[in-house]
Amino acid sequence: MDTPHKIFSPARLWAIASNTLLELVRLKVFYFLLLFALLIIGSSAFMLDFKFQEQFQVLKDMSLGSMSIFSWLLAVLATAMLLPKEIEDRTLYTILAKPVPRLEYILGKLLGILALLFVSILLMSVMFVIALYIKQQAVLTDAVRGLPPEQTADVIRGVKASAFTVSLIPCVAMIYIKSALLASFTLLASTFATSSIFTIIVSFVVYFIGHVQGIARESLLASPNASALSKVFLAFVSLLFPDLRLLNLTDDVVAGNAISSAIFLKTAGLGLSYFCVYTLAAYLIFAFKEL
Amino acid sequence: MNIDPQGLNTIPAISIRNLTKVYPIPFRRERVVAVKDLSLDVLPGQVYGLLGPNGSGKSTAMKIVLGLISPTSGQTQIFGRDSSEVESREDVGFLPENPYFYKYLTGAETLHFFGKVCGLGGAKLRTKCAELLKLVGLENAASRRLGGYSKGMLQRIGLAQALVQDPRLLVLDEPTAGVDPAGSREIRDLILDFKARGITVLLCSHLLGQVQEICDRIGILYHGVLVREGKLEDLVSIENQTELILENSSPAVLEQVRALVEKSGGRVVETRKPQTTLESFFLDVTSGRRTAEEPPHVRRKE
Amino acid sequence: MVKPLAAVFSMLLLFGAAKLPFEHRLEQEDRAAFFHGAKLSLGLRDQVGQLGFLAALSGFRSLVADFLWIEAHTAWEGTQWGRMALLFNNVTTLQPRVVMFWDMAAWHMAYNASVAAMQDPKQPRLALRLRAQREYFELGKDFLIRGIENNPDRYLLYERLGIVERDKFGDHCAASRRFGEAAAIRGAPTYEKRFMAYELSHCPGHEREAYERLLALYKTGRREWLPTLLERLEYLQKALNIPAAQRVNIPEKKL
Repeated sequence: MDTPHKIFSPARLWAIASNTLLELVRLKVFYFLLLFALLIIGSSAFMLDFKFQEQFQVLKDMSLGSMSIFSWLLAVLATAMLLPKEIEDRTLYTILAKPVPRLEYILGKLLGILALLFVSILLMSVMFVIALYIKQQAVLTDAVRGLPPEQTADVIRGVKASAFTVSLIPCVAMIYIKSALLASFTLLASTFATSSIFTIIVSFVVYFIGHVQGIARESLLASPNASALSKVFLAFVSLLFPDLRLLNLTDDVVAGNAISSAIFLKTAGLGLSYFCVYTLAAYLIFAFKEL
Repeated sequence: MNIDPQGLNTIPAISIRNLTKVYPIPFRRERVVAVKDLSLDVLPGQVYGLLGPNGSGKSTAMKIVLGLISPTSGQTQIFGRDSSEVESREDVGFLPENPYFYKYLTGAETLHFFGKVCGLGGAKLRTKCAELLKLVGLENAASRRLGGYSKGMLQRIGLAQALVQDPRLLVLDEPTAGVDPAGSREIRDLILDFKARGITVLLCSHLLGQVQEICDRIGILYHGVLVREGKLEDLVSIENQTELILENSSPAVLEQVRALVEKSGGRVVETRKPQTTLESFFLDVTSGRRTAEEPPHVRRKE
Repeated sequence: MVKPLAAVFSMLLLFGAAKLPFEHRLEQEDRAAFFHGAKLSLGLRDQVGQLGFLAALSGFRSLVADFLWIEAHTAWEGTQWGRMALLFNNVTTLQPRVVMFWDMAAWHMAYNASVAAMQDPKQPRLALRLRAQREYFELGKDFLIRGIENNPDRYLLYERLGIVERDKFGDHCAASRRFGEAAAIRGAPTYEKRFMAYELSHCPGHEREAYERLLALYKTGRREWLPTLLERLEYLQKALNIPAAQRVNIPEKKL
């Protein structure tokens, strides 16, 4: 053997990741969803005729909403078919029969998905910024028409502040982190699930329960006198499910709340720790899986 | 079981010791014994045929050797390294049954990918890929997507990817299944070529005629148990008979030979014209080299 | 296969136990910063329908609010005031941190619906029309008060409430209080202080205080020498019998 075996090889990891990305990019559902999202974001620049605060708000809501739906859907759907397809096509055997540690294999797959999500969100963000800019210019022209000069500067500043708020950046970052979390969870589900459909259903169920986990958790912590049965149930939901509502900053960013860096870092950290735990869990199950 | 000792210094390419694999059936008391106390060695340079009906445990044993499944008990090693170690797979190339690979990649890209996965790269990988494509006869189809490959071509690219890291051992699962006679012939020639280079080959196949042609040793698995194992010639030769093929001998000479044999106490069992195989005949006809009228020639294993 | 599943399950439980307090603390911090303010009760589900409720639950609260907002404007075109009030309630429940929703809801109630009620051709009795008008004033005021509860850190709703008190209820003392609250918020426009002083000058028993405030504003410079300020200052100087030596000289033509 010329090349000595490396315990962890970034080149190997990258080979699997880029191959996964290539495979995913060919999915028709990816193009369909992406196009749809881009259309929605783009068209929101030309919508409706409300007061300017409303215009920006609706635009942001629709764009960020499309971005969210698209990336979460993609995260679940794309990840759900990764492993089952490779097992069915037997390409998994060919790859694992090479000196590839299972950890690198699963990390490589996950990295491919993350790359896909990143590229999609980037594209949508660019479209979003363009739409917001178009809207801002339209609103500015309207707003300064017929105004005395000393008020113009104020109004311009007001409009611009309404349009591009700094908080949009952490908002988009959290959309990405949340989709990464969903991808890692779906990967975990696919390691022990019997079919892609089952994986998808499980992931969607967890998605919905994750949004009410906060209510369960606060109930559990606030009522020490509740019955044992309800405590067990609440504990089950609180411990095992992620609080996805906490990871959602869109509603608040659109409402004009400023996101402090402390809150953003904590929220991002929470999301990332979920991501790591689910990835680790997926690896553990996959490592012992009989193929 | 006869483990053929060819010198205590030779590390077997594959070493299986008391391998047992039991699958529990969920919700039931019974279990399925896929492989039971299997022990065998495949020595370097051999072409070993692992045979058996469906469900006999061949695939299971193979997957355990390749580290894809873990054994219930027993041990498997590749060139002395335990199958559970990732490093043991540096020396082995695997061609699974009916592989699909990635349909959207071209032949060259596929090889490239598997090379990268093995840790190869750069110019060395590119030369290696070109070499392998030439070896398996796919250099003209290298830039075509695998989606457009025939079954035989897929098998050949499969062989190429199995070879990309220069393994000392090849494990082939049904390499010629579903392949037309011409492609099948080419694959078998390739296997013989590998053998000539010193690569060990473990072969699983249902096509016993083909196995007979290329394997040195065989093992027959039945319900997870190795029921027969040994050198092919020893196993299939009919002990007390000899085949003698004569050319340009008149019927008078044949009579003399017959008399001689019977005088010494033997028996002439059968006198007939030797036949070529249907396969050779078919290949000769379809390759366009000959027509059906030309006299056939016998194809022999050296 | 069972053992790794059990290990993973325990790992998830352990992680769950570890992250629980962290999530709780983060939630508290979020609430302090007014995030996730919406209270999604089952009553809301009846209003927005199952799909809307589900969407609101799954992190698309603001989108649902936007759709309802648009519906409210459709209702406005049809002058369906009752339906508008209902929709505004839902919108503000979903997105309590959007000041504009509270503001516009209050405006529609206090300024539009009230006028429509007063001019309602189907109601011949004046007394009943007046009462309906008053009810809409109260509805508008209620929106602003609830809006302030959810947005105590923003000046706009205090200001709006001051305007409603002044214009619709004629309560100058209450209006002054509200303008004062607006002025106390960081980043509030400077005119809030003026408005507070103006209203105070109309509030019986607070003339002295109003005079002092107006004087202080006058002394800050020409920027504050707006017609209303000068007029009120002059009025108070006369009403309080300020000695001529301390009076500010306000030329007739500026009044």
